[in-house]
Amino acid sequence: MAGIWIFAESLEQTKELLSIGSTLASKLGTMTSVFLQGNTGVADDYIACGADEVLVLTALAEDQPLDAYIPVIAAEAQTADPDIFLIAATVRGKDIAARLAARLKTGLCSECIGLKADENDRTIEMERFAYGGAAIQTVVCSTRPVMVTIIPRTFEAAARQSDRKGTIRELPAAPPSASTVLERKPKETEAKDISESRIVVCAGRGIEKKEDLSLVQELAAALGGEIGCTRPISEESHWLPEDLCIGISGISVKPALYIGLGVSGQVQHITGIRDAKVICAVNKDENAPIFGASDYGIVGDLYDVAPKLSDAVKNMKG
Amino acid sequence: MPDIIVCFKWVIDEAYIRTGSSGALDFRSVNYKLSDYDRNAIEAAVRLKEECGGTVTAVTVGTPGATKGLKDALSRGPDKACFVNDQSFDNLEPSQTAAILTDVIKGRLEYDLIICGEGSSDLYAQQVGPRLAEALGIPCVSFVQKLSIDGNRIIAERKVEEGINIMAAQLPALVTVVPDINNPRIPGVKDTLMASKKEVISVTADDLPATYEPALQTVSMTAASMERNCITFPADQAGIQAFVEALAKEGVLR
Amino acid sequence: MDFKFTEEQELLRQNMREFAEANVDPIAAEIDENSRHPAELFQKLAAGDWMGIPIPVEYGGAGADYLTHALVVEELSRSCSSTGFTVSIHVGIACMLVLLFGNEEQKKKFLTPMAKGEKLGAFVLTEPGAGTDVMAATTTAVLDGNDYVLNGVKTFTSNGPTGDNYFVFAWTDKEAGRKGMSCFVVPKGTPGMQAGEHFKKMGLRSSQTSEMLFKDCRVPKENLLGKEGAGLAMAMTGFDHGRIGIAAQSLGIIQAALDESIKWSKERVQFGKPISRQQAIAWMIADMAMDLDAGRFLAYRAAWMKDQGLTFSKEAAMAKLFAAEAAMKHTTKAVQIHGGYGYVKGAKVERLFRDAKITEIYEGTSEAQRMVISGNVLR
Repeated sequence: MAGIWIFAESLEQTKELLSIGSTLASKLGTMTSVFLQGNTGVADDYIACGADEVLVLTALAEDQPLDAYIPVIAAEAQTADPDIFLIAATVRGKDIAARLAARLKTGLCSECIGLKADENDRTIEMERFAYGGAAIQTVVCSTRPVMVTIIPRTFEAAARQSDRKGTIRELPAAPPSASTVLERKPKETEAKDISESRIVVCAGRGIEKKEDLSLVQELAAALGGEIGCTRPISEESHWLPEDLCIGISGISVKPALYIGLGVSGQVQHITGIRDAKVICAVNKDENAPIFGASDYGIVGDLYDVAPKLSDAVKNMKG
Repeated sequence: MPDIIVCFKWVIDEAYIRTGSSGALDFRSVNYKLSDYDRNAIEAAVRLKEECGGTVTAVTVGTPGATKGLKDALSRGPDKACFVNDQSFDNLEPSQTAAILTDVIKGRLEYDLIICGEGSSDLYAQQVGPRLAEALGIPCVSFVQKLSIDGNRIIAERKVEEGINIMAAQLPALVTVVPDINNPRIPGVKDTLMASKKEVISVTADDLPATYEPALQTVSMTAASMERNCITFPADQAGIQAFVEALAKEGVLR
Repeated sequence: MDFKFTEEQELLRQNMREFAEANVDPIAAEIDENSRHPAELFQKLAAGDWMGIPIPVEYGGAGADYLTHALVVEELSRSCSSTGFTVSIHVGIACMLVLLFGNEEQKKKFLTPMAKGEKLGAFVLTEPGAGTDVMAATTTAVLDGNDYVLNGVKTFTSNGPTGDNYFVFAWTDKEAGRKGMSCFVVPKGTPGMQAGEHFKKMGLRSSQTSEMLFKDCRVPKENLLGKEGAGLAMAMTGFDHGRIGIAAQSLGIIQAALDESIKWSKERVQFGKPISRQQAIAWMIADMAMDLDAGRFLAYRAAWMKDQGLTFSKEAAMAKLFAAEAAMKHTTKAVQIHGGYGYVKGAKVERLFRDAKITEIYEGTSEAQRMVISGNVLR
């Protein structure tokens, strides 16, 4: 049975893909199927959020990695022949998507940022970043299924609707896997997750010493926001944990307000702040690319501007 | 003593791409470079060789002009290279690259371990490694930040969202590596001069058993634009005040 | 005509740029301030075979061409011209003297460890009373049994206190005039040779410079480099090679001045716009970029001629003269563009300005270059 398939690691990610999947399904006049790992308790939740079918994957052994599901999903796809397969672009999701695409001999659009279906010829145009974020590549896929990975939090999650009905089906257990997980270590750093923060003040290369991060912290405190940083600050100087590194190799943020202090605005960073409502920058180089990506900017030395800005914000807020 | 294959790509250096006034990408003055993550892949392969012995073969798929890329890769320590080149091997999409690599490796190269970068710095699709592993039917551990060989298996630290998974897989296997795995060496003078003396196996489209059709077609490649206000203020008191008022008007100062 | 570098030359230039950004930029200001010879940096340079690029592999070098050596000195000097110069004089004069004039045994004994970067060469010609006027030198070498006995005072010896092999020029037969001077390799620690204190200099501060005193310094006959009486001609050949290096060093300084000026002029706002949009500033930058390219054509041609086995004495002098004067001119402009901010310690252009001056003085003053050039064209 054709349709839109969805695979994600978490409830939230699945609901997000469901909102895209349901839109596509109604446009193309087909149905949505969602994979569920182990816990059958949320099957009804998925159905309420738009799933027509829930495919339940048997829980894995402790030492089995998530990619152990690949043979089960591939076998199912070979019988059911889905039209579109949406997968959340987590580390494991991207790996599974590429390997499923290889097994199903089809194309895969990695880290898609937007997709549009044509009702008449049923082609799906998909957009993604290329060249470190400098370019947008638009692709179509000529093989079945059209596979897509989508970075979590790119789209809104689907809301529950009443009176939805769907079927629940159990899939066979996964065979033993070729690789095993010896140990699962949680993150050592306890950095804040700023991906959902309302206000983010970002430290860039213009910060000369670690102590000077206090300027960034003061402005963030005045605004009631969190701090983030660019790659040089976390990866080269190690002044802040890499969980705070915003950009193509780090996290994406979508705050109401982003202010970059001494951020030059390389595309790799801009890619991570694209979804901010208002982007602001303080940089002494008038030609810094960040100003081309900003709503409001101050051309000046952050060491001079940041303290004055903190004061002005405090006065404004009273 | 493992035989290691490391895959690399010679890519456009995105720092040289200009955006024309119409918003179209201008590739006229571009330079090429070894894809950033592939430097880490090569370094990882060469360090394993230095530790365990064996051989390192660097493999690339591209157009015949990419000879500088071969020298760049070989100057970083691999013993030999396999240059899969054809005029038609330009702008390949990941499924094609993986299929070509599969046919080249199956027929010609011995291996215990294949190492790829997590993705290429031009398209960053992050598919070639995992696809290649599937096609060869070997275990795949992607996004690895630490790698060692323990007898006939690899132990790999995989970087995932919530922390680290320590993985084990039997050889032969494939891994893709992230930049954290190492700090690639800067080749010295002799390394660079020796590179052109190393063996290069040349494979062309005629030597391969299939034609490789793309599954994905690129419809367009345009400059990523952000429609923003682009208003700047001077750094004086009045400018800062006007800046803060603009933010207040946007409703983001709450 | 082909203006294209080989792939190896391009890769090595890029690799040196990367090396310099990683290893030289972080210490350049500090070693200037403290007049410190960065031994740790030279170990890294040696490990990458950067200290003997045009020397054949059998004598410890990398076996590349002289043009590659020049490109590397240029990129190194862009980060720190003291370091670029130390490599330049070590390779271009000290190593080249042994390669060109040494016998097999001397090449094995002296050249090999130098080309590997394990030992540093020093060029000992100038005396307090004999600068451009080399013939006014007074240091003598007298044969006594199996040894030459050296007596005299030398000054402004580059790598003076830090060198391992000293290439000392002394009269073996003053009466023979231009054919009366000879060259000796004097290893560090030879009794009777003493290095003075490192001079505190205006610029090029981390390159070590000192007096060298010779008092009954006995050097075995085997350490005579080339024929007795051939010293002056050898020194001139050494200069021809060294001058390509000084030209490259000057080009590195100009490139750095241009880099800094572009960056600053785009950031510095006066009269409501970046100063790069003031024609007065933009034109300075245009001239800088033009002279940088003109100097490159001269320097790369001289290096190319050397690699082709052609005579390049005049071309090396032209390259050195033009690049040195351009370096002084444009570092002055770079400080001007920076205004007061370019006059304070910590500004890179301040260091570039101080470092540039010496390029017009050593390995033949600008006046001496004009003597070489005019002597060639008026012949």
